[in-house]
Amino acid sequence: MGQEVSTYVLPNEEIEEYQVLTFLSRQEIISFHHKMFMELANSEEPHHGNIRLSSRIVSSLPELKVNPFRDRICMVFADEDGEFSFDEFLEMMSVLSDNAPLKVKIEYAFRIYDFNGNNYIDEEDLWTVILRLINQNELSEDEITSLVEHILEEADLDNDNFLTPAEFENAIAKAPDFFNDNQERHFYCH
Amino acid sequence: YDESSARNSFHHLLQEPDRSTRESYESIEMQDELDRGRVEVRGPDSPPPEGPYLCEYDDVFCPHTLNVLSAMPSRTIGRSRGAIISQYYNRTLKLRRKKSRPTLQNMPRSSRPSIRECDWEPGVMKDEEEERRRLLTKELQVLSSNQRVRMLQMMPLSLREKRDLHVCCNERECRNRLHEKGEIHCCSQIKYSLIKGFRHSWFEFLSFLHMLQLWHYPLKQIGGRFGTSVLSYFIFLKTLLLFSVFLFIGNLFFIVVPQAVYPPVDHHNNQTFTGLELFTGAGYFTDTVLYYGYYSNSTLTEQCSVNANSTQCAKDLSHTLPYNLPLAYIFTIGVAFFITCIALVYSMSKSFGDSYRVNSASGDLAVKVFCSWDFKVIQKRSIKVQSDNICTQLKELLADLQRKSSPMSLRKRFGKIVIEFFAWMLALGSVLGCTFAVYRCSILLLENYNDKLSQNTMLKEASLLALPLMVSSINLLMPYVYNAMRILERDESPEIQLYAAICRNLLLKMTVLGMLCYHWLVQVTRQPQKCWETFVGQELYRFVIMDFIFIILDTIFGELVWRIISETWLKSKRKPEFDIARNVLELIYGQTLAWLGVLFCPLLAGIQIIKLILIFYIKKTSLVMNCQSPRKPWRASHMTTLFITLLCFPSFLGAAVSISYTIWWMKPSEECGPFRTLTTIYESGKVWVRRLEKSNPRFYWFSWIHRHLVENPLVIFTAAGILLIVIYFHAEVVDGQRKIIRLLREQIANEGEDKKFLINKLQDSYKKINSSPGKRASRE
Repeated sequence: MGQEVSTYVLPNEEIEEYQVLTFLSRQEIISFHHKMFMELANSEEPHHGNIRLSSRIVSSLPELKVNPFRDRICMVFADEDGEFSFDEFLEMMSVLSDNAPLKVKIEYAFRIYDFNGNNYIDEEDLWTVILRLINQNELSEDEITSLVEHILEEADLDNDNFLTPAEFENAIAKAPDFFNDNQERHFYCH
Repeated sequence: YDESSARNSFHHLLQEPDRSTRESYESIEMQDELDRGRVEVRGPDSPPPEGPYLCEYDDVFCPHTLNVLSAMPSRTIGRSRGAIISQYYNRTLKLRRKKSRPTLQNMPRSSRPSIRECDWEPGVMKDEEEERRRLLTKELQVLSSNQRVRMLQMMPLSLREKRDLHVCCNERECRNRLHEKGEIHCCSQIKYSLIKGFRHSWFEFLSFLHMLQLWHYPLKQIGGRFGTSVLSYFIFLKTLLLFSVFLFIGNLFFIVVPQAVYPPVDHHNNQTFTGLELFTGAGYFTDTVLYYGYYSNSTLTEQCSVNANSTQCAKDLSHTLPYNLPLAYIFTIGVAFFITCIALVYSMSKSFGDSYRVNSASGDLAVKVFCSWDFKVIQKRSIKVQSDNICTQLKELLADLQRKSSPMSLRKRFGKIVIEFFAWMLALGSVLGCTFAVYRCSILLLENYNDKLSQNTMLKEASLLALPLMVSSINLLMPYVYNAMRILERDESPEIQLYAAICRNLLLKMTVLGMLCYHWLVQVTRQPQKCWETFVGQELYRFVIMDFIFIILDTIFGELVWRIISETWLKSKRKPEFDIARNVLELIYGQTLAWLGVLFCPLLAGIQIIKLILIFYIKKTSLVMNCQSPRKPWRASHMTTLFITLLCFPSFLGAAVSISYTIWWMKPSEECGPFRTLTTIYESGKVWVRRLEKSNPRFYWFSWIHRHLVENPLVIFTAAGILLIVIYFHAEVVDGQRKIIRLLREQIANEGEDKKFLINKLQDSYKKINSSPGKRASRE
């Protein structure tokens, strides 16, 4: 696969363990490993356990580069120092893959959309989400306020102006084409 | 007592014990956003957000109240690891006890631990968390390995922690087994290594299958550039291809190949092959395995060809396997249709269940905001287009909501109704007009064909193409007219416009097809000709080929030429849009033709396969070269449900009805085909059952079943009655669920009120305590 052979090949037991713990297939795990070593880390390290990528590098992946929520995605999946080891990288790809069930995606989506970190999605967070979605387009402040009001009216069941995880899940429960980000495009050789 | 210290203490209380503050990281990452001036950063020193707790008070909350607030279960569940562990402990416990239907107290979908048996206190000791982890590990071991894997995958913990749990489970399992058995028995060792080897090869096979998926890479390419809605068209095409492949394989192996291997002796094809046959299907192709008329009505045995030695022929006869072709014909087609029906209904109900929600009257603004960002799209210019689309959609939705909240004046509403009525009358009128035109044309052409029997045969054959040409051009041009008619309904919401256009298009296609079926099954059979089934088969062949040609023409002129024109003459940057609805309805129309024709032309499924493959590549190339992604609001999941429903109901149902009519009522022609001497095609089944009964008395029960169950109309009525009762039950259950949902929403709103009340009372009491003289003195 690819142009060069990586210096380190994942042993089978590790691959199987990853297959058990994540939603990725064997082929995907191998190609993510290759990707991490060859293209992102540019290193000749013998074992992936020593590789740590900073969030800046990970958010330069083509799939994440144009995503308006990439900083939150990296923050949610990275460890305490904001860095990615192979484990965290795989976890991120696993949640974003097609095979992950909706429930898992919703749990992580809640964390991603919670910009101010208070474990609720409040009006502030909704403002930030809308602003990031529309990018450089114009929506007046009144329109955004009215949108935020309507969303809270729809989804906030106990009228406390926050969305708890349960309310969030209830609001987007039936959106099956949600949060699907297929990374394999770049990783299969042809 | 200053605000910022209260705010800081709030934040401090919220932080989990094992994650440090992320503020510095956040500020670095947000710097580029800030530089573009797009996002306002609310740092820890900014005033706290407005909320119902603060609106009645000028002060901020004292730290005790904040303490209580931050410790609320609904606030801590999302991130706290201990809470997640205990939640999953409960889940595995329930799984083990195998409660089939969750009672209302046990809602496993909810994340609130307060409703469950285990109540989680925040700030719990570390060893309690360890205790929970131990319990969870114990529970996980008891589960079967599939369930355990599933549980481990679903947990929203980091991979490291999951690996620890997994290792703990395996360790303990191994230790337990060792303790129980002392040493591992050699047989179980073989068994374990077999299981491991099997699982290993199973994983390999699954990933191999995954790679082998048809068109895996092109579909990803399309999804990456154009988004999920255009992708749904191509996935629909793939589904149709799979149905056709299934039909084709059945026909090929059970009907075509036996007949091709043992051709009927008395058929000599004395026509020569000219190029026209590829389009008309007549001429050289008439007397081939392509059509119904070629098939013999007897049991196939080794036919002695003219040149063979007669003695050898007689000897071989005793070794052959008799193959009853008429029976094979009708069974293959019947079984294929039955399985297609079940597959369609299953996929329809599955996609319906995915996207339909009981009591979804609350609208979908939240879904639009949170879910409309298509993560698959990665090209930069597509990203810009996508943000524009989202902005437009949000604006439209806002306009819609405002329109709903402010009712229109009576005069405006009346005007709108009149315009709607006018538009629909126009559409219906055009549909009826086209149908009538097709009717007249078909009669005219049939007379023409049968009158000029002595005319030039080439011209006669070519005149057969006139009817397909006319129908295909109607199908091509009228949808553009319907799209243009949308100018009349400009102030309707875009989704309603879209559905209206789809409706009219569908109505046109189905009415024209219905008229054609009438023409074939009633008018053509009245004409004096040797083999009406072959003629109908040829007609359908012509229609399929002509449809294909028109799709190519539409792609070239509608997309390529339009893009060239708009770039050179009109000088606009807007490329033509890929009209998903129209293209999908074209596919459905083509598939209906294939289903209608497969009884008369068994290889039509194969032609449909080739057609679909070519359409895929043509459409994909044209899409990439010429089009942009659609600007209309699309919910791909809803649209997929709609397409499958349309495929099932008018399309497949119509084809099944006309095939059933042909099988049950139509008289097969006397001189050709596998059902030559019978009154109806269905009779062959009856005849076979009688013969079976006569030949072997043991089969009496089989023919008894056939006579009393299949042929008895009472059975069908009973079955229909049972089906209706089942549907009624389900409708009642859904109704009941709707009522429960309403009650639950009221209850949640009431609990919210309770919470507000309690928090305010708490704040009150703390204020009273703080303002008591003793405390004030001690503070100062």
